[in-house]
Amino acid sequence: MSRNTSIQVTLKNISKHFGSVRVIDNLDIEFKAGTLTTLLGPSGCGKTTLLRLVSGLEPPTGGEIWFGEQDVSQFSATQRDVGMVFQSYALFPHMNVEKNVGYGLTVLKETKEKIRDAVSRVLETVNLEGFQKRYPDELSGGQQQRVAVARALVLEPKVLLFDEPLSNIDSKLRRSMRDDIRGLQQKTGITSIYVTHDQAEALSVSDEVVVMNDGAIEQQGTPRDLYQRPNSAFVANFIGDSNVVDAILVAEEEGSAIVLGETRIDLEKRKVENRPGKIKLSLRPEMFQLRETGDEKKHVMGTIAHSAYVGAVVEYFISTPVGELFTTAPVSEEQYAPGRKVFLHFHPDELIILPETRG
Amino acid sequence: MQVSFGERSFRVGIFTWAVIGVISYWILPWFALEYGLFDATMDEYWDTLGWKSHPVSMLTPVFLLLFIPIGWANWSREIQGRLLVSLALVATLLLAVDFIIPGRSMGLGTGVILIVLAALFSYGIARLGFLQGDIFISGAVTVVIFIILVFVFYPVLQIFYKVAVTKEGDFAPFQFFNIITSFGIGRVVLNTLLLAISVGVATTLLGLLFALYSVRATSPLRHLMRVFYILPIITPPFVVGMSLILLFGRAGILNDVLMYFFGSGGLFIPEGVEGIFERSGYIYGFRGIFLAQVLSLTPVSYMVIVGMLTAINPAMEEASLTMRGSRWITLKKVTLPLLAPGLANAFLLGVISSAADFGNPLVLGGEYDVLSTEIYFSIAGAQLDFAKAAALGILLLVLSLTIFLIQKKYLGKKSFVTVTGVQTAGNVTPLPARLQRYLSVFVCCWLLLIGILYVSIFLGGFVKQWGADYTLTFMHHKELWTNGFSSGGWPSFMNSLIFSFIAAPLTAILGILIAYILTRKRFVGHGVIDFGTVLIFAVPGTVTGIAYIMAFNTAPIELTGTAIILVITMIIRAMPVGIRGGMSALSQISPSLEEASLLQRAGSFKTLRSVLLPLLRSTIISSTAYSFIRSMTTVSAVIFLASAGTNVATTYILSRVESGDNGVAVAYGSVLILTMLAFTLLVQAVTGRSRIEKQM
Ligand SMILES: Nc1ncnc2c1ncn2[C@@H]1O[C@H](COP(=O)(O)OP(=O)(O)OP(=O)(O)O)[C@@H](O)[C@H]1O
Ligand SMILES: [Mg+2]
Repeated sequence: MSRNTSIQVTLKNISKHFGSVRVIDNLDIEFKAGTLTTLLGPSGCGKTTLLRLVSGLEPPTGGEIWFGEQDVSQFSATQRDVGMVFQSYALFPHMNVEKNVGYGLTVLKETKEKIRDAVSRVLETVNLEGFQKRYPDELSGGQQQRVAVARALVLEPKVLLFDEPLSNIDSKLRRSMRDDIRGLQQKTGITSIYVTHDQAEALSVSDEVVVMNDGAIEQQGTPRDLYQRPNSAFVANFIGDSNVVDAILVAEEEGSAIVLGETRIDLEKRKVENRPGKIKLSLRPEMFQLRETGDEKKHVMGTIAHSAYVGAVVEYFISTPVGELFTTAPVSEEQYAPGRKVFLHFHPDELIILPETRG
Repeated sequence: MQVSFGERSFRVGIFTWAVIGVISYWILPWFALEYGLFDATMDEYWDTLGWKSHPVSMLTPVFLLLFIPIGWANWSREIQGRLLVSLALVATLLLAVDFIIPGRSMGLGTGVILIVLAALFSYGIARLGFLQGDIFISGAVTVVIFIILVFVFYPVLQIFYKVAVTKEGDFAPFQFFNIITSFGIGRVVLNTLLLAISVGVATTLLGLLFALYSVRATSPLRHLMRVFYILPIITPPFVVGMSLILLFGRAGILNDVLMYFFGSGGLFIPEGVEGIFERSGYIYGFRGIFLAQVLSLTPVSYMVIVGMLTAINPAMEEASLTMRGSRWITLKKVTLPLLAPGLANAFLLGVISSAADFGNPLVLGGEYDVLSTEIYFSIAGAQLDFAKAAALGILLLVLSLTIFLIQKKYLGKKSFVTVTGVQTAGNVTPLPARLQRYLSVFVCCWLLLIGILYVSIFLGGFVKQWGADYTLTFMHHKELWTNGFSSGGWPSFMNSLIFSFIAAPLTAILGILIAYILTRKRFVGHGVIDFGTVLIFAVPGTVTGIAYIMAFNTAPIELTGTAIILVITMIIRAMPVGIRGGMSALSQISPSLEEASLLQRAGSFKTLRSVLLPLLRSTIISSTAYSFIRSMTTVSAVIFLASAGTNVATTYILSRVESGDNGVAVAYGSVLILTMLAFTLLVQAVTGRSRIEKQM
C-alpha cells in the first residue's frame, strides 16, 4: 500500500491556549513529506497538544494547519484524514480485532468482503494474521499496540500520529516494535509524527527530531545534527548526556582558540560563528579519554570525585577547575579510584560550541 | 464540481427539516385545541389550522422555504452559518410575538416548527465552527439548552414574576417583602428550618452508626442492612407517614396496646385512678414528621457514609493500631476525622431532603406548617393565592439552592459523583466490642420498627376499619381493583404506568446526553447547561410544581391538564438520576475511545451509536429502571399538575387520605410498593448486578 503522494504538514503561527494557560504560542513547524519526525521534550511541554492540533481533535486558538497544498484548519478530526495510535491504544473493548481494525471501513460503508480483505491485509503487515476474532482483553500489550497501528493504517491516512505508542511496553519488546513501526512507516511512506519521552527511541526511529521545551521548538534536525550540533544547552542535555561548561573564545591572527580553565585549545582551521568572549561548550562524556599523564595546558586536569560501575562501562565524576565533569570509560581500561589525579584527553574537533543564546 | 459527503448531508438536512416544517404547518394545529388533541372534533381541529384561521401565519411556510437555497448557494461557510442562525432566530422571535401579544396558546404544529427552527439553528452554528462543526452535537446542545430554558429557567422566572405582580396584574415590587413579613410566615420558616436541621442531625448520626455497623461489625445482622438500599427506592415518600398513623395515630395499634396497659382502667392502672396514657393526636405535628423523615431519609445518609467509609484506606487505621492506638482511639482520632466530609455531606443532604419533603408533612403535619405544605395550601382549594405561593416557593428555593451550592463547593463533586455502596473486603478495623453489642441491639430495634411499619401497611389494606374493626376483608382492594378499568384505582395506576413508561427512557437518554455534554465538551453556552443542571438538582419538587402551574397554565405554552406536562415533570424530577448515572458511567470510559472513532472518519452520531452506547448499555438500563421507579413514586410536583383525567397513583392515594379513606389508601400503597419491588427484582435479575441500588 505504498503511496507516492506523501504530503508535507505545515503549522503556521499556531497557538493553543487553555484559558489563560498558553501551552503553545505562535509556533511554526514543518513535517517533511514522507518522513517520520519525532517530538521530544520534557513532560508537559506540549507534545501531545501539538499532536492533537494536527489531528483536529483540539481546535487551535490561532494559526493555520496545512496538509500539502490544503488548509485543513477548519476541518474536524473526522475530515482530516489522519490516523492516530494512542498511548492507551484506545481499542474498542466491545469489538474484536477485525471489527476494531475494520471500524473506519464500515463508517465508509464498504462491502463486507472488501472490509475483510483490507483487514487481513493490514493485519498481515503488523504480523497479526489469524487474530481477527480475538477481543482486546484477550491480547497482550504488544499485540494490542499492533492492532492499534493496524487500525490507524487501514484507511491509508495522509498523516500518521503516534503518542508515546510504546510507553506501556517493556523495554525488550520496545526495541523490536520501534523497528517494526519504522519499517512500516518507510514502506507506506506516510508522513508521520511520533511523540516519545525516550531519546534512544527518538534517535533510532526518526528522520528528523524536534526538541520542544515549554511549548516552543528548541531545535529541529536529523538525529545526527541534534547530537553533533545542538544549538542550546537544553538540547545538548536532552539528546544524550552532556557536560555544559563556560569557556572563553579568543580570536587571534592564526585562528581562534578556546580558554577552558587552565587549558587552551587551538581551533586551527575550524570555523566559529560566535563572537569572541564568553561562550558555552558542550562536552560529550564519550569524547574524553582518561590518562594518568598529560599536559595541563592541553588537557583538562582533575581528581576523581566518585565512580560507578554500570555494566559495560564505568561512570566517572571528575572535579576540575571548570566544574564537575561526567565521563565514561570501558571496563577493559584501567580503573581509577576516587581521589586519583587524572588528565582528560580529547580531540578539539569534538568540542561542541553552543551558539549564542538568542534574544 | 463534485460535492463532498459532508456538503451533501448539510443540504439534505436543511431541505428535510424545512420540508417537515412546511408540512406540519399545513396539517397540524397552529393553536392549541381547547380540550386536547385527541378529544377534538374534526371541525375544531380544522379551525386551529394556521392557514384556515390565521392568515398572518401563512408567512411561516414562505419563511421556511427561504432556508433551502442557503444549502445550495455557493457562499462561504461563514455566510451560510450566519444566515441560518439569524433566520432561525428571527423566525422564533416572530413566532413568540405572534402568540404572546394576543395571548393565544401554541398548538402541536407550532411546537414542531420550533423544533425545526432549532434544527436549522444547529446547522447554522455548526457551519460557524461551533463544537468543531459537529452537527449532531450542535443539535444536541441546542435541544438541551432549549429544554433547560423552557422547562427549568422559564418556570423559575415565572415564580419571580408572579411575586412581583398583584392578582390584577399591577407591578408590586414590595409584595414579596409584604408576604414574607406577614403574620405566620416567620413561624413557617422557623418550623421548616428547625425540622430540617433536626432531621439532618438525626439522620447523620443514625446513618453513621448504621454505616459503621454494616461495614465494620462482625455480626451477621449487618447483611440485613441491605433493605436500606431497596426500601426507600420503592416506597413513595408519604407512605412512611401513613404507616406511622396506623401505628401511633389516634386509632394507632401501638396506642391501643399502651391504652390496654396504661390507660384509664388499664391493666397496670389501679381501679379508680386516672390512666397515665390518653389517646391523642400526639403523632401529628413535629414529632410525626420528624420520625417519618428520619425513617425515610436515614438510608440516604447511610449510603453516603458507607461510601466514604469503604473508601478509607484500611492502612491508615492499621497504622494507628500499630502505634498502639486502641480501637476506640483509632475510631475517634482517625476514622471519624476522615469521615468528616461524608458526614457534612450526609447532613446537608438530610437538610435539603427534609425541607423539600412534601408528602410526610401533608399527611402528618397537623398544626405544624412547613414551607412545602404551606405552598400547596396557598393554591389548593379556593385560596389560589399565587403571589403567596410564589413568595414561599422562592424562600424554599433559596434555602435549598444555598445548601446545594455549599455542598457542591466545599464537598467537591460528591453530589454528582455516585456514592457507591460497594463493600470491599479487606483488613478493615473492626468495631470496639462493646460498641458493637449496643449497636446490635439498636439495629435490631430499628429493623423491627421498619418491619412493623411495612407489615401494618400491608395489613391495613385488609382490615375493615383500622383501630375500630380489625375484621379481615377484601373490601378496600375490591373497591380499587374490581370495578372495571375506568373506576377505582385502575385509571390512576394505568396513568402512572404509562407516563412513567414514556418518561423513563427519555430521562435516561437525556441524562446521559447532558452528562456527556457537560463532561466531554467545552463551548460557549456550557455555563447555561451547567447552571440548568444545578437547578434541576436543587429545585424542590413543590417549587417545580407551582412553577409549572404558573408557567404552563396560560399562553403561549399551555400544558396544564394534559398528560404531556406530567410526563415532562416526571422527566425533570427524575433527571438527577439520569445525569448522575451518565456521569459515573462516562467517567469509566476513556475519551480516547471516542477520539479514535472520530479519527476513523466516524461522525459523532456514529461514535455515540457504535462506541458509547454499547459501552453504556447497562447504565441506560439501570437509569431507565430507576427513573421509572422515581416517576411512579413521585408526588411533590405532580400533585400540582394532575387533573381529574391525569390522576396518577400517588396523587390518587393522597386524595383518598385527605378524604379519610385510609383503608383504601393503604391498600393502594401496598400494591404500589409490591409492584415496585417486583420491578426492582426483575431489573436486578436482568442486569445481573444490583446496579440500581448503587445509583441511588
Ligand atoms: N485541557 C487542558 N486544559 C488545560 N491545560 C491543559 C489541557 N491539556 C493540556 N494542558 C496543559 O498543557 C501543557 C502541555 O500538555 P501536553 O499534554 O501537551 O504535554 P506533553 O508534552 O504531552 O506531556 P507528557 O510528556 O507528560 O505527555 C501541560 O502543562 C498541561 O497541563
Ligand atoms: Mg503527552
